[in-house]
Amino acid sequence: MKKARLYSIGVGLAMVLYLAGTSGVLASNTDNMESSQYRIRFGNINFGSNNQSSSSYQLGTTAGQFAANEFSSSGYIVKAGFQYIHSIIPFTFSISDTTIDLGTLIAQTPSTATADLTVAFGSAGSYQVTAEEIGPLQTSSGSSTIPDTSCNGGAQTCTESSANVWTSTSAYGFGYNMSGTSIPSDFINSTYFRPFPDSTAAESSQVVMSSANVTTSSTSTITFKTNISGSQGAGAYRTVIRFIATPGF
Amino acid sequence: MKYIVIALMLSIAALPVSPVSAQQFAMSITPPLLEITIKPGKSVLIAYTVSNVGDPAIMSADVRPFKPTGILGSLIQSDTFEGPIRFNLDNSNIGLGKPFFLKSKEGQQLLLKIRVPEGTPEGDYYYTFYVQNETGRPLEGVTASLNQARIGGNILVTVTNSGTLETRGNIGTFTVFPTLKLGLKAALFESTDPVPVQLILQNTGRNFIKPEGIITLQGGFGEKANFTLVPQNILAKSSRLAVASTSGSLVRFKEPTTLVLSGFYVGKYTLTADVIFSGSQKPVQATLTFYALPFKLLLASGVALAIGLVIIAQFKRKDDDTSDLP
Repeated sequence: MKKARLYSIGVGLAMVLYLAGTSGVLASNTDNMESSQYRIRFGNINFGSNNQSSSSYQLGTTAGQFAANEFSSSGYIVKAGFQYIHSIIPFTFSISDTTIDLGTLIAQTPSTATADLTVAFGSAGSYQVTAEEIGPLQTSSGSSTIPDTSCNGGAQTCTESSANVWTSTSAYGFGYNMSGTSIPSDFINSTYFRPFPDSTAAESSQVVMSSANVTTSSTSTITFKTNISGSQGAGAYRTVIRFIATPGF
Repeated sequence: MKYIVIALMLSIAALPVSPVSAQQFAMSITPPLLEITIKPGKSVLIAYTVSNVGDPAIMSADVRPFKPTGILGSLIQSDTFEGPIRFNLDNSNIGLGKPFFLKSKEGQQLLLKIRVPEGTPEGDYYYTFYVQNETGRPLEGVTASLNQARIGGNILVTVTNSGTLETRGNIGTFTVFPTLKLGLKAALFESTDPVPVQLILQNTGRNFIKPEGIITLQGGFGEKANFTLVPQNILAKSSRLAVASTSGSLVRFKEPTTLVLSGFYVGKYTLTADVIFSGSQKPVQATLTFYALPFKLLLASGVALAIGLVIIAQFKRKDDDTSDLP
């Protein structure tokens, strides 16, 4: 009886150790077309692809695609389109609303408005969307300005490249939050904000969306927020936020 | 008459009213990337297609230079035009920087002429050709932010007289990020943890390169796996994170990763990166070693063994007690 129990425990332990030693020592895949979550890179599901040449030209074509070729002549070679960057889904950028109405501002009552940013890109390359303001929020005469936010201040000070908490109603300014996919990791939740970099102050635009992955549609939401003090001058404030979407190189 | 007016007013009120919707910008551009190798004194005409899949918009097109930044293929666009390459639109009715109207669901072909003047120094020049919307007007009396959207395609221009390019590269960084930090020099991993691998390639030449390569993993028991690097451009005098074809970057780590090895690893492993920066150059190689041990399993086994021994001891005691009975 005792021997049987000892034998069964021993067999159990041996099986655990055996499984540990043999369970897919190299579980990663080496196939070009798949990963643990599946992605196809450089997959060419097409027809009629061919290379043609003559004494003066080289021409590579792929039927079914527009402007997808390499062509050369005396003095230049151009590579564009499908065969080099697979544009099955063209590089597309959209903003759900080009006019962000922050309404009538009331002192110490934050005003917010949102817009959705969407990027579609079927290429094997990466993309980025950057944002910058062309000057701060100011009245048409330029006599009064809402400064860019520094968030709650102190230990919770944000910068153009680093988001922080902005919840205090006595912290004034203008800034933005990002949520959704492909956004910078410092936007931890909806209370984290950054000020826009000001192109008129020679501040570099900041990436608000980026991805190295193929994406049929990647959407994020930008929330604009402004909060003013009681001494803020009356008037309608305006600025232009420029979003620049570029594919990778 | 009174009844007619009332009837008319009721009729007008009953008319279907279309809701006021936000002005949406949605635009696509093709091709997203151009690679041009060209002699000074030559020009080339490229047909871009921009398609408006949003609301009707007033657009304009222009070109700006850009510089690579960071290791992830990011770029910084300049606000002002600079450089020797000359651009203009060959369309009869549209010029660079001039507004044009694009209806909804309508495309526009823009013929970009790229000219390299005589005497242009050999080297690479990087530009973005873009279209952007003209900002609208907000309602009077409200505070508003006007969004201007710009979408572009990159142009990599290599100017060469002879066709000879300077393609030189190095392996800048080849490392793993161990999860166990026990003060050891060797990279140590728990067997079940993913192994993030980072390979950064440097372009030390004056022309952009598209390196090809492979990362090989070899285990102490003869296991072997190959991971092909995805060819991607590295611009002159810049570095870029290599990406392996197995989509390692899908798993998020603090550090950008080329490849994430997942599975069950035991023992010593060697990773070797072989990279070819140009056809004429020999492959550049870098090697690293890491170790993996099943700490969790060993701990679990130890606990299981201890529990087993206790149970055996208890049974043994019970058996002894029962054998003592008359």
